[in-house]
Amino acid sequence: MSGKYSIAFVQEHCIQCHGCEVACKTWRNVELGVKWRRIDTSWHGHYPDSKNVPVMVACLHCIDPACAEACPVGAIEKRASDGAVLVNRETCIGCKLCLKACPYHVPQFGADGKMQKCDLCLQETTVACTSPPCVATCPTKALVFVAEKSE
Amino acid sequence: MKSENTGIQSGAGGLTFDEASVLAKTNGEQVVPTFCAMCGPTPLSCGVYAFVKDGRFTKVAGMQEAPNNKGAVCPKGNAAPQWVYSPDRLKYPMKRVGKKGEGKFERISWEEAVGIVADTLKSQKEKYGPESLAILAPAMRSYNAYVKRFLTVHGSPNYGHSGICALQRAFSFMYTLADWPAAEIDKSDLVIYWGRQPIYSGPALDGPKALSRLKERGGKVVAVKPSVEPDVCKADIWVPLRPGTDAALALAMLYVVVNEELIDKEFVEKWCFGYEQLKEHVQKYPPQWAETITGVPAKQIYEVARLYATTPRASIDLGNGVEHAPSANDTIRAVAILIAITGHLDRPGGNVFRAPESTMPMPRDITLRERYTTKMQGKLVGPEFPKEFQPFVEGFTSAYYRIFDSILTESPYPVRTVIAPGTQPVVSTRGSKRVIEALKKLDFYVVIDVTRTADMDYADLVIPTTTPYESDHPFEAMGGWIMTRNKVIEPLGEYKSIYEFFLELGVKMGYGQAFWNGSIEEAMDDQLQPLGMTFADLKNHPTGIVYDSLSRTYENYEKVFQKKSPRLTGAPFLPHGKVEIYNTAFEEAGFNPLPEWREPPESLTGTPDLSEKYPLVLSDYHTSKNYTASWERNVPYLREIELYPVIHIHPDAAAVRGIKDNDWVTVESPHGWMKVKAKLYPGIRPDTVMILHGWWQGCKELGLEDYPLLDGGANVNMMYSVDSKKAFDPIITAMSSQTLVEVRKI
Repeated sequence: MSGKYSIAFVQEHCIQCHGCEVACKTWRNVELGVKWRRIDTSWHGHYPDSKNVPVMVACLHCIDPACAEACPVGAIEKRASDGAVLVNRETCIGCKLCLKACPYHVPQFGADGKMQKCDLCLQETTVACTSPPCVATCPTKALVFVAEKSE
Repeated sequence: MKSENTGIQSGAGGLTFDEASVLAKTNGEQVVPTFCAMCGPTPLSCGVYAFVKDGRFTKVAGMQEAPNNKGAVCPKGNAAPQWVYSPDRLKYPMKRVGKKGEGKFERISWEEAVGIVADTLKSQKEKYGPESLAILAPAMRSYNAYVKRFLTVHGSPNYGHSGICALQRAFSFMYTLADWPAAEIDKSDLVIYWGRQPIYSGPALDGPKALSRLKERGGKVVAVKPSVEPDVCKADIWVPLRPGTDAALALAMLYVVVNEELIDKEFVEKWCFGYEQLKEHVQKYPPQWAETITGVPAKQIYEVARLYATTPRASIDLGNGVEHAPSANDTIRAVAILIAITGHLDRPGGNVFRAPESTMPMPRDITLRERYTTKMQGKLVGPEFPKEFQPFVEGFTSAYYRIFDSILTESPYPVRTVIAPGTQPVVSTRGSKRVIEALKKLDFYVVIDVTRTADMDYADLVIPTTTPYESDHPFEAMGGWIMTRNKVIEPLGEYKSIYEFFLELGVKMGYGQAFWNGSIEEAMDDQLQPLGMTFADLKNHPTGIVYDSLSRTYENYEKVFQKKSPRLTGAPFLPHGKVEIYNTAFEEAGFNPLPEWREPPESLTGTPDLSEKYPLVLSDYHTSKNYTASWERNVPYLREIELYPVIHIHPDAAAVRGIKDNDWVTVESPHGWMKVKAKLYPGIRPDTVMILHGWWQGCKELGLEDYPLLDGGANVNMMYSVDSKKAFDPIITAMSSQTLVEVRKI
């Protein structure tokens, strides 16, 4: 069985607790200074009508990923079987062209200089029957693991 | 009725025990169901699964079966392994070998450490009396009952509560309404979150979920606070008042509902005492008057007062924010009166009396309050509430700060030993400069903690204890759910749990009989007796036991208004069996029977002369999304979210000072100065700046150093006045956290 997976963000449910951010880092042992998922805020209106709204920054696993297009060595692929956009860290040369191409500024670079980011935690060592750690930890269901069956 | 807790909560996240077990097996790990400890061990802790690989605690998942967090975990809970393995952990007991404050210690054994405490307390008891001992217990912790028990057996009433959290609301509500009624949010059409942080005060608990459900139902939300936090973003109306002016706002709301007769006349007639006096009294407080003080437009005060009074199902969720001002008791009383006279008390969707939520019998109370005497009452060194109102619901309490003050003033007598378990006086209470002077003068200071603390260098003895992840006790019982804490990993150093510390100390003092002769198992069994089980029985239920919930009834005035107070006399809270609008008990004790307005020690309207030099109001955030109080800055995954101490300043206020986002700035008040980063914050009053309290600690993994504890650091508690005549509420302590400052670019 093959399905297309994604993690959807429901902005109006987000309480800006950053639980997803840290669950991601702890479960995947992500190095300091690198974030595969993070909450930013954006301000709207003027005092006293000012409000800030949460913005989720993480790989969206685009249907037509600009990062893959930009990669000069073909290190990024959109996997047909499940829809995950993945980086081959063996072939990545750390040129950061993917970062320039990504409209959401998602690609991250740690100590080894190679691109890293969310891979949807599809391996069985992470997902226990239900959903990735970032989704499972969310108090208000602002993150939703979407499994869309194909055919 | 009770049942094995295997039920999956509807709409829950996290993992079930079965899922966690399968996952652990796949990864060659063990899974341990237990409670989170990142808000400190409290009965409110969230249920989690801790994963262990090769003896190392690696990660957590939320426990889906847990009735409180239903599988959710906040950033703090997720970062727990880094806290446990922090290089800041204390590994073995130490005694001071250098001068106080020098930080020179030598390693001693656990046995020796407990022996030193016992010997010192015995000789001081003989020389100065048992009241020379104070133990600090500022927050709700699972071990507080053991602290109280020890103090009572020893003969000291000096249990040092913060003076700024929860008990202040409990006191003023209970001496007005006989109860601290909760906002019944799930039935409300309008909720006023007032000085409240419904999101950061337990992001994984029900607070934010209740707010979401309210919004989805189309309920209205009003947020009352000086700055925009995530809850304000979900509000329909934001009331941006100046810090510390809540009482003026509440009094003006009373003015509106009284003068426009937006009251429940029948209720007022039957169940309120002193309405006529209130009617006359509030004429001093029209919204136009309140506008000058609070900075909230009079029009908005009318609007919110009318909206609340005319919405049948409306509630007020009054938060900790109102407990930090010299008029705190007046704010809380005025709000209590507002709830009552507008007919929102113990009615559906209003503020409802607290009643048992489940069929779970309460574990045995081990505080030994039945041994309280008037002699102990007379010896309170710095009563959190006036002596005639002691003991209150938590027993005898002295205000934490006043204990330190007694050391310097020697009035009414100097405390000789302070034991500080899990608290850091120099950054946790006000008047940091005086606290350090007191620590220098104090005969014997014992720090008990899991990591190094801000003022550890002043300790005579440092006693490390296990984190709750390294201990197989106690149990927690709250909200109809009982479960044991379970050991995730073996202790990483030479230490035991804080429960074992108090049991062993009890035995060494010769109080063995009162301390189960040192047996934790017996201590647990004793408390579990009313539930008809032993600790070993409870351990057989990996995710605990859930009891049936109870439905509630309304309008229980007859019964609740007769409730007895915990005072030694057992006198009822309400002398007339009615809402004490006009409070004769306060009047007899020499206080104003009606709520009034009192300026903070420094404010734009109270000290206008000062505002020329210091034109901005400073206050602090009590609660944070990623840190608990003054700890956890050393946890790298949490520190990454907020690297530096930042002062929130409105872009207009910043612009006139030439300050840009992320600039280092100094913040100077009449009492001290901080060096912090500026964060341009469009959602704060332009005349106000705010910072999170509790900054001192560095983070080794991120190469961030500690900050100075006093001037030049980021410890907001040194910035405020501690003038005993101006900075405290006369009845409920509630130390002021407002002052005036100037902010300058460095």
